[in-house]
Amino acid sequence: MMMADAEDLCPFAEDSFSRFPSQSNIYGLCQAGEDELLAATLKGKVVCFRYQDLQQKIRPVAKEVQFTYIPVDAEIVSIDAFNKSAPHRGLVVGITFIKDSGDKATPFLNIYCEYEPGSEFNLESIAQSCLNLELQFTPFQLYHTELQYEEGQRETVFLLSGHDQRIHLYKENASLHQFEEQPVERFFPELNDLPSNVLWMNVLSIEGSRRLTAFGCQNGCVGLALVNQRGPEILQSWRLQQDSPISTVLLFPLKVAAEISSTCDQGNQVMEYNLLVSSTLEMAVVYRDVERCGVSRPVCLAGSDQSDAALCALIIDLDFDGQLEVLLGTYGQDLLCYKFQQPTGSMDGQFQLIWRRSFKSPLLSIIYLDLTGDGLKELAILTIKGLHILQHSLSSTADLVLQRLAHRAGTISTAAQIQPIAAQDTEQTKD
Amino acid sequence: MRSLSFVQRVCLDFTGSLFPHAICLGDADNDSLNELVVGDTSGKLYIYKNDDSKPWLTRTCVGMLTCVGVGDLCNKGKNLVVAAGAEGWFHVFDITSAAAKAESSGQHEWLSGDEQKPCFTQHIPANAKVMLISDIDGDGRSELVVGYTDRVVRAFRWEEPPDATDLSAGHLILLKKWLLEGQVDSLSVNSAPDGRPELMVSQPGCGYAVLLCSWTQDGAAVPGESHVNASAGGGPSRDIVLHLTTGRIHNKNVSTHLIGSIRRGSKEDDSKGGLFALCTLDGTLKLMDSSEQLLWSVQVDHQLFALQKLDITGDGREEVVACAWDGQTYIIDHNRTVVRFQFDENVNAFCAGLYACKQGRNIPCLVYVSFSHKIYVYWRVELECMEPTSLKRVLEDRPGYTHLLSKLGVEPSDAEAVRKLIGDVLYRDS
Repeated sequence: MMMADAEDLCPFAEDSFSRFPSQSNIYGLCQAGEDELLAATLKGKVVCFRYQDLQQKIRPVAKEVQFTYIPVDAEIVSIDAFNKSAPHRGLVVGITFIKDSGDKATPFLNIYCEYEPGSEFNLESIAQSCLNLELQFTPFQLYHTELQYEEGQRETVFLLSGHDQRIHLYKENASLHQFEEQPVERFFPELNDLPSNVLWMNVLSIEGSRRLTAFGCQNGCVGLALVNQRGPEILQSWRLQQDSPISTVLLFPLKVAAEISSTCDQGNQVMEYNLLVSSTLEMAVVYRDVERCGVSRPVCLAGSDQSDAALCALIIDLDFDGQLEVLLGTYGQDLLCYKFQQPTGSMDGQFQLIWRRSFKSPLLSIIYLDLTGDGLKELAILTIKGLHILQHSLSSTADLVLQRLAHRAGTISTAAQIQPIAAQDTEQTKD
Repeated sequence: MRSLSFVQRVCLDFTGSLFPHAICLGDADNDSLNELVVGDTSGKLYIYKNDDSKPWLTRTCVGMLTCVGVGDLCNKGKNLVVAAGAEGWFHVFDITSAAAKAESSGQHEWLSGDEQKPCFTQHIPANAKVMLISDIDGDGRSELVVGYTDRVVRAFRWEEPPDATDLSAGHLILLKKWLLEGQVDSLSVNSAPDGRPELMVSQPGCGYAVLLCSWTQDGAAVPGESHVNASAGGGPSRDIVLHLTTGRIHNKNVSTHLIGSIRRGSKEDDSKGGLFALCTLDGTLKLMDSSEQLLWSVQVDHQLFALQKLDITGDGREEVVACAWDGQTYIIDHNRTVVRFQFDENVNAFCAGLYACKQGRNIPCLVYVSFSHKIYVYWRVELECMEPTSLKRVLEDRPGYTHLLSKLGVEPSDAEAVRKLIGDVLYRDS
């Protein structure tokens, strides 16, 4: 069987597993700074995970961070963190939770940010400086994205979806040193007047100071818009309806072989933007070239409905060939990897399942970041039982790095004397 | 402590119940691939091959099986499967011939009638609990050692007339009997500093005893029970050298397991005598060498009941694997680096070793017998290294790496610049 064979091809090996005392959810994992991540568990605990560097050894450390103003009876819904846009760069952490004191459940958004110079990156001190906002709705995904203003300035803001069929925007008021809610339609006209509660949203800036915005709703509706950031002004927008709640929407670029009719001279590859939509009952779908074709070119990810609901997705280049792969994490305890196959002849480009890896419990969230501080990123996977860190095979990655370093050194000085290391098939990556 | 969650596993059907020593991995049919041999309390012997959930072969024995083994008992260069029961029946099966016969006749349903019966049966003293097939006296030939519930250990040797055509003509003869002070939970062989094999048995309270094979010293002595009785008459026998290890032993009667001949990884080191490990039910783990030098000691808060060795990193050095009743499993290397794995059920019996579970080759496996009629074989447990390692460290061990960095104008000690370069090379250079 194909699926059984695919099990052997997963290029990752588990480096550590940390069991959590209580379970988390699909909004419970985020990157915080360069090489740390935060995982929130339902019972009000936030764990900071990183690798400690001690005397030529590294050690995984999962430590609870005491974020202030989270009451003991709170249940955390979502967590997100970002570094402020240049030039400030300080770390901001947002946590939404519901305080259930018995008679009435009250939702809150806490935003943690340190303004004291020198402490902007120190998680311990950030966790102590809190802005506490009471919410009038049940929060869902806490997301951040960068706004581009006409003058070229940039600013990162929080977007929070809620059960009130709206998305709320939280923006820093620089003079007051605090975040406040601003009307979302002023900055994101495409997120106004939503058809249902948004479970997942994703924004991708593209060339020409434009952006693509996508959101997936509880009632199965997916919205997509192409927006000129100057204005901002909606250039085009699309809606489509699926039959089950949408778990994730992700926008991503792909290099695709140019059509023969194209007169484009710059190589034979063109960049197109795609939208991945995963839903709880149906197969995951990639809408190809959404910038030009909208949602008219769907491609199904075959087999993605065979392992229960796909709860999380991530799009990364995990084989270092410059092309992005699609990872889906499912409630059926599987991590699925799909790779784009360039079109051949009359066949359109397809996404093919190349490997699958099982876990001990359902997958909730995936991120990819350099935890070990060596330039190679690790996959952090949040499951119901805890946090798994998967690492690329180090010996084969080292072979590849040496090969590419030798190539670089060779292009610098033609008299390269380093033996080429033949280990991996990376022919197509050299151009 | 580094903790991992192994997931790739094969689930084998096993409806019986078993004793902790009635399971082993070994090449039962001499095809150079290891099988899993399990004996249950009703006398059934199961042999599992590759990832098939149903047993490849079953055999019927007399009595309640307490220990099974695979080894070249008859010194004919061929592995046999042996099973001993509590009632004293000792069974030998020649799986290789049976399998070959079945292959040639093209029969698939060949597990009936005579084929079920052992090739050889002998009644030996009852109440066996552990068994070992190994050369214990350094003559290059295998002996059979059996440990009993009444603190007795007996060594046997297979003998048969020179013109014997099959096993039925041979029999086991008793070489020696040792009476120990405490329960014997494991038998193992470890090489002494001079390279001779030494028979070691575990003793309660994290202790062990070396049993001397007196028939090699006074070669003329008639091997047999009478000789042993004489020496055992006045207190502990001089053929037993008891060693008690020191440390935090809270209970001197705590049950103790032992495993010897742990490979050090290089021929040179192996000649310095073998390494052996001890574990106790109250959570003490120790690694020692044959000159009684303690290499490390680890204290855990789980009840360890099984001790095995397994080369999990593929570097030739065997790691110590200890399993607790609640499924917590510790894998520890010679430098005391620990990797933990939690098997999510209570464990009835555990073993670790090479098993040809997948891909037609022997791979390191962890085998757990649960209380829910299943045996779980974790077949993807190999690790690149025991410690968490970064790409930086792997690269620094590669020849030419620092040379390449300096060629590219990056100072190897400048961690931030190296990180950026590696990141660029991996994620941008394509």
